[in-house]
Amino acid sequence: MSPPLSPTPIWTPSTDAIERSALTTFTRHLEKVAGRAFPTYAALHQFSIHENRTFWRAFLGWSEVTFEGDVEPVREGDDCETATFFPGLRLNYAENLLKTTSHLRDDAPALLAINESGERTRLTRGELRAQVLGVAQSLRRLGVGPGDRVAALARNQPNAVVAALATASLGATWSSVSPDMGADLVLTRFGQLEPRVLLFHGEFAFQGVRRSTKERNTEVAQSLPTSRTVMFFEELEPDSSPLSAFPRFSFSHPLFVLYSSGTTGPPKSIVHGAGGTLLEHVKEHRLHTNLGPGDRMLFVTSAGWMMWNWLLSALASGVEIVLLDGSPTYPEADSLWRIVEEERITVLGTSAAYLEYCRDAELHPGRRNLEALRTILSTGSVLHDPLYSWVKEHVKDLPLQSISGGTDILGCFVLGNPNLPMYAGESQCLSLGMDVRMLGAEPADVSAGAADRLPIGELVCANPFPSRPVGFLGDPDRIRYHEAYFSQNPGCWTHGDLITITDRGTARIHGRSDGVLNIRGNRVGPAEIYCVLESFSEIGDAMAIEQKAPREVGGSRLVLLVVMRNGAVLDRPLQLRMKKELSMRASAAHVPSVIAQVSALPMTHNRKRSERAARDVLNGRAAANRASLANPECLEEIARHPDLSLQDDN
Amino acid sequence: MTQPEAQLSDPVAYGEVRQLVVDWLDDNFHFGDADKLIQGDDCSFLDNGILASLGFVQLIVYLEDKYRITIDRKDLSRENFDSMAKIVTYVLRHKDFRRAA
Repeated sequence: MSPPLSPTPIWTPSTDAIERSALTTFTRHLEKVAGRAFPTYAALHQFSIHENRTFWRAFLGWSEVTFEGDVEPVREGDDCETATFFPGLRLNYAENLLKTTSHLRDDAPALLAINESGERTRLTRGELRAQVLGVAQSLRRLGVGPGDRVAALARNQPNAVVAALATASLGATWSSVSPDMGADLVLTRFGQLEPRVLLFHGEFAFQGVRRSTKERNTEVAQSLPTSRTVMFFEELEPDSSPLSAFPRFSFSHPLFVLYSSGTTGPPKSIVHGAGGTLLEHVKEHRLHTNLGPGDRMLFVTSAGWMMWNWLLSALASGVEIVLLDGSPTYPEADSLWRIVEEERITVLGTSAAYLEYCRDAELHPGRRNLEALRTILSTGSVLHDPLYSWVKEHVKDLPLQSISGGTDILGCFVLGNPNLPMYAGESQCLSLGMDVRMLGAEPADVSAGAADRLPIGELVCANPFPSRPVGFLGDPDRIRYHEAYFSQNPGCWTHGDLITITDRGTARIHGRSDGVLNIRGNRVGPAEIYCVLESFSEIGDAMAIEQKAPREVGGSRLVLLVVMRNGAVLDRPLQLRMKKELSMRASAAHVPSVIAQVSALPMTHNRKRSERAARDVLNGRAAANRASLANPECLEEIARHPDLSLQDDN
Repeated sequence: MTQPEAQLSDPVAYGEVRQLVVDWLDDNFHFGDADKLIQGDDCSFLDNGILASLGFVQLIVYLEDKYRITIDRKDLSRENFDSMAKIVTYVLRHKDFRRAA
């Protein structure tokens, strides 16, 4: 491995803060259980991998998760692909999020919702639980029971949180997508889900523009014959005889379905289990983020992104969650920072794209009173080094934690640590209990900047972990599941990200290792772009590639290479039609910045398209797999195309 | 509506910058509908859903690259950027502005 990059941390926790952190308390607990000392985080992390069963059993007890049944066996099996956790244990996710304890009473704040008009809704834990139990009864009367699925096109509003937790209360499975998603994308997702109940919001508002979703809702409802009940969120009122108790289900009982689109085929419908989700999130919240009662966390997310589910789970740690329904930059450019100030947010979750926007707009959040704010979390795309200094200088001298994982595990592989120093550009540590490695690391381009000289490898997890998904819908033989995560490196979860793990145990994520794109922090599966383009008779073939673009929001842009059919011409009207169609039928993130006509796309000798070769060339590198291509000459045409030159770094 | 002063003094340059902004709006947000949405050059971009804060930053980065000018972010306000007339006038009055080759 190469030596670490910056020799000095950009932020260091105080001795007092380390002493008081939940991670320290837990470490002492584990030391007692294990009968040995963990003088460093590295020692603790190694133990959590090598004595994985002891670690998870100790954490379950320490975390005070409510359950019944046997804690043994902690784990059945040693293979990452097939092992299962806590098969004898039963719990209810919603019960754990809404319970009261001696230090967490009914009148403690649970939820604050804010919309673009500045209106606030506040719920205590008691009020939220009462609504959840009432709506759970209403759903039960609609025939929803364990194993059923409830789907929603949901705004980030309290009624969506209530419906999700009510669904979980019954042992049914919740799946939500953002209300601005086009009908085609919704149907490729909910078509697999076969929901019993379908919930809508009638409109959504973003950046001050209110849009009706009526037409799209109707199209979706008519195309989903399994939905016996279709209703607006506002119609789903709490029943006057609420559910009296939370029934408990197995540890791996399906809780959420989330979606992940790749380069081919329909999106994967990923089923996450209740126990794995709960335990992983409580671990990440309490140990890695030091969250607890008294914290007020706002994560900028829609109800269609995994960070929404992650935010919900923070209720289990006694955190007040803050929902923002709308844009962080409306009505004023610095609206989000005004909320952070006025509502005394303690932990703010955002993205590299938003922080870049703040820097480029030359906002000065630090001129506000951000006294309560103690941590900023960033995820969605790579958080480059200069943003750390910008935050320190223009926001506050606090830990800016780059956390990374994904929808596929509904959690993080690398994240923060209240006890460790922070280095610019690096996630502070590897996640406890996870044997995260960089596989096949090779030094990259030595002519580039310092960051590019680091060894970069494929991110894999070599041991079983509780938040590994239960499986995919429509994949009874688990063939697609195996292909997605385990075929590349048998026995290891291969995540599809590129990682550097430094000598000091920190990590850098470098983007995707596969053809999946990350546009302004949104994960975009090229297959969804190709699907929309099928309706264009002029287009013979297309390939979507992410190209580095330092001047663009998020640091990259979406390039679409197209091969025209029968002498058709890629003129401006056609380009605008393609963009409009992608915007309406998919999403704004699916719209390419550049559409370029080429005579051929790179293909391998066995006629497989090679996104990798195009990606290498578009990012100024020699194609690593050039020898395997049947038509390597097409790479020269792509490299020379006048619309596809790399942007300068300044 | 009155004609912006900048349009009166150099209608060709005004027209060029205006078209550049329309094309950029079409390429990035409105896909052929920008001209329809802009009901007059003094129509507010913010109030009519034509462009919002994040988009304004993207637009000024684009204008900086296109005309090799530096736009002071302190100028990023409704007064300077909230309509076609204001944007074009701001660019034309920039001390380093030269018409694109």
